[in-house]
Amino acid sequence: MKHKLNNKLLQIRNLKKYYPVSAGLLSRHIGDIKAVDGVTFDISEREIIGLVGESGCGKSTLGKTIPRLEEPTSGEILYKGSDVTKLDKNGLRELRREIQIIFQDPDASLDPRMTVGDSICEPLIIHNIGDEKKRMERVAELMEQVGLETRQANLYPHEFSGGQKQRIGIARALAMNPKLIIADEPVSALDVSIQAQILNLMMDIQERLGLAYLFIAHDLSVIKHMAHRVAIMYLGKIVELANKKEIFENPLHPYTEALLSAVPSFKPKDKDRILLRGDVPSPLNPPPGCHFHPRCHRILPICNQQEPELAEVSEGHFVACHLYR
Amino acid sequence: MSERLRDKVRGISQPLYSNARLINYYWQRARRNKLAVFGLAFIIFLVLLAAIGPFFTLDPTAVNFEEKNIPPVGFTIEQSIYSIETNELSTKEIHGTWRHPLGTDSKGRDMLAMIVSGARVSLLVGLIATGIAIILGTIIGVLSAYRGGWVDNALMRFTDVMMTFPFFLLLVLIVFIFGPSLAFIVLAIGLTGWTGTARLIRSESLSLRTREFIIAAKALGASDNRVIFRHLIPNVTSLIIIIATLSIPGVILAEAALSFIGLGDPTVSSWGIILEAGQHSLNTAWWVAVEPGVMLFLTVLAFNFLGDGLRDAFDPKSNI
Amino acid sequence: MKTTMDNVILKVSNLKTYFFTRRGIVKAVDGVEFELRRGECLCLVGESGCGKTVTALSILRLFDSPPGKIVEGQIRYDSLDLAECPSKQLRQIRGKDIAIIFQEAQSALNPVLTIGDQIIEQIKLHLPLDHGKARDRAITLLSEMGIPSAEGAMSYYPHQLSGGMKQRVLIAMSLSCDPQILIADEPTTAVDVTIKAQILDIFRELKARRQMSTIFITHDLAVVAEIGDRAVVMYGGKDVETASVSEIISNPKHPYTSGLIECLPDVSKNTDRLASIPGTTPNPLEMPQGCAFHPRCPKAMKICKQQEPPEIITSKEHKVSCHLYT
Repeated sequence: MKHKLNNKLLQIRNLKKYYPVSAGLLSRHIGDIKAVDGVTFDISEREIIGLVGESGCGKSTLGKTIPRLEEPTSGEILYKGSDVTKLDKNGLRELRREIQIIFQDPDASLDPRMTVGDSICEPLIIHNIGDEKKRMERVAELMEQVGLETRQANLYPHEFSGGQKQRIGIARALAMNPKLIIADEPVSALDVSIQAQILNLMMDIQERLGLAYLFIAHDLSVIKHMAHRVAIMYLGKIVELANKKEIFENPLHPYTEALLSAVPSFKPKDKDRILLRGDVPSPLNPPPGCHFHPRCHRILPICNQQEPELAEVSEGHFVACHLYR
Repeated sequence: MSERLRDKVRGISQPLYSNARLINYYWQRARRNKLAVFGLAFIIFLVLLAAIGPFFTLDPTAVNFEEKNIPPVGFTIEQSIYSIETNELSTKEIHGTWRHPLGTDSKGRDMLAMIVSGARVSLLVGLIATGIAIILGTIIGVLSAYRGGWVDNALMRFTDVMMTFPFFLLLVLIVFIFGPSLAFIVLAIGLTGWTGTARLIRSESLSLRTREFIIAAKALGASDNRVIFRHLIPNVTSLIIIIATLSIPGVILAEAALSFIGLGDPTVSSWGIILEAGQHSLNTAWWVAVEPGVMLFLTVLAFNFLGDGLRDAFDPKSNI
Repeated sequence: MKTTMDNVILKVSNLKTYFFTRRGIVKAVDGVEFELRRGECLCLVGESGCGKTVTALSILRLFDSPPGKIVEGQIRYDSLDLAECPSKQLRQIRGKDIAIIFQEAQSALNPVLTIGDQIIEQIKLHLPLDHGKARDRAITLLSEMGIPSAEGAMSYYPHQLSGGMKQRVLIAMSLSCDPQILIADEPTTAVDVTIKAQILDIFRELKARRQMSTIFITHDLAVVAEIGDRAVVMYGGKDVETASVSEIISNPKHPYTSGLIECLPDVSKNTDRLASIPGTTPNPLEMPQGCAFHPRCPKAMKICKQQEPPEIITSKEHKVSCHLYT
């Protein structure tokens, strides 16, 4: 899928987020959970990046660190050129107008004590946009955009279905006309048929409003239709980054191959399933060398000794794997 | 802006207090619990009694030795009377009369009037002292949970210290030093009774703090203040209401207990004061102790039923 | 065509489970019919709210009663009607003859007991084994499920296990008494795609190695395609289409089934938009008149609004309830 080469909106350089772990009677610092361990990539205007990985790989933490809902441990986050990590309170508030988040659990992301109209209106109130009348108009407009009836604004979250709640979350995220939306597994909690509706809605909105998305998912099939480029994440690091066509037709990293093969397929006889052995190791104690080597089906002797760097193997296709040195 | 859109838009964003739907939803759930409804009814009755009762009763302070120790209506008691003139002990039957439906005490004061005025005292003490305790406890609990770190530590250690004070002895001390005035009693109860609330509110706030809608509010750019007041506190409101409802009986009993051991405010006739006086005449005038006792019992029951019912109504997982 | 009657291990006939709530009667299951054959994997497919979970719960009468009640229908297992048999008999069947695995692995395990204790407890409930033998059996089951160093794993607490592991422990527990039938309620829904693949693999092995008869509940047709033999598509508390999985995929008759197939990202030919079924599942207290699906059906006709469609058997044991085929 081609898209115009646009300006770079977000540039992340060697971003790290560690959670220190203390143990023992005197709370000694015994190590860190390296949730995000040196991540580098860019997002351009109007671009959709899919970020895929299993639970615990750090993709949600990355999503929350970008707008500094979690404070980064080190590294740079450049939004439109300026370093997000160095913004003060006011700068941060301005940033929050442009970068918005949609959450995974539609149940938990809406305040159960506020009507949905109030929830959608909240960003407008926080940033002092317009007066009461203008805000109500904007809320009505947003609700229509996401396919809800304005008369439902007076209802409470518990009176809606999962898919509708997610629409409300999207409406709220759009209220400030953001440039970048970080969608943290927005459809994982929904039925497959509703997933399709919400994905279509997100695609429509992206086209109409010219947004960029960082679409976080654990299932490659979900981003298949939407993403321009895809990044695969494992234990805090990006192990492969390429445009969508390349990832789906020419996956290089063994983990990517396994992820592709894991998607339940309608035509199951097509391929031999690559079953990943074991579970994701603990981020407190990752395996030496390449973190993926214990589960890798194409392991080389060097893999348990040296960590492979993320390197460009062909145009725009990056992979961190010793197979491609 | 077209008429159509304005019509559509009308009614959006009504604040909770004027949008009765959520309150109505909880009310529908609460009223299915018969005991809770009884509790509420009794409390309403008590409030009315306290508010307008005194206008219809006799003066509770009017002392009349001629009419001392009259039993309640329908009861008859034998009193021994010593007559100075004849130097004889004779027994006389005293019947209850409608003039004093609940009887009189040893000083001839009308029991009904005293119970009614006692209701006023107990309710005031209950509401105000609980109010003080709840507000203090909520502020400390929410602040502790939201700020975390050393603030949390400091506040919780302070709470621990306050908790280790034997609550009742502290009350006794305060009253002893400052004198038995109702105002001090209320203040004392309020200033010592917030610790339980603080811990409960803190733990609820802690679990709410990581809920996604709080993170969502921050992601929208909300300041800490806004998150606390607009999101955190409204979601602990139901817990606060329950804690309050279930604390009031304890407070009422605390005041009664203080009065019972003689540290109450003798200028008001709270149920505790009446009880205290009545304990000396259990043989001759049992109703003086029993009546306030029964009232205390029913009041505590009522608040507890209501509190339980509210807790069930507010819990979204209980299927009512 | 061999008769399948003697092969049927469970037969659900005209099952109706209603919930009598203050707000009205919720007809969660409203006339569902299917049979489970020995050794097959039967999938109950449908969106949230279609009644598939309640159907599974009804087989073992595990719903809260009140407000729920089986108002009509039979569930024939062995020589019993599970819809009506006394509780004592039902309790003996639960866990031993028919086992059920629920969706949220986290909440199905007791957090304060080790998994070893929990499996052993389950075993000793139904089998007359002493502690040592029960323990051995538990360890065997855990390794069969692919849990590494099963003996050591016995002393783990649930919170020390990952989501996939917990799900495997649950499956091991359900197999501990060698049940005839395994009911799995959306076991792959709340997990990562790689764990999903592992769990599906386990079910495939169960079928191959133990000839386990399974009722597999899911909303994802791709999962059905992977492991199902036959499928029952449910909507609005009724079964709308029943056929073998290959039939349903290649030749879906009910518009809802075709709709579900179209939704799969895998299958969508158009890479710009995913096909979807407009609208949402109906509120069980406000079911549409006639065919429950008609408001969302691209092929709805006038009669669909008025009359409930009859059940029609087309070919090859393919049943569908739709006016298009009368």
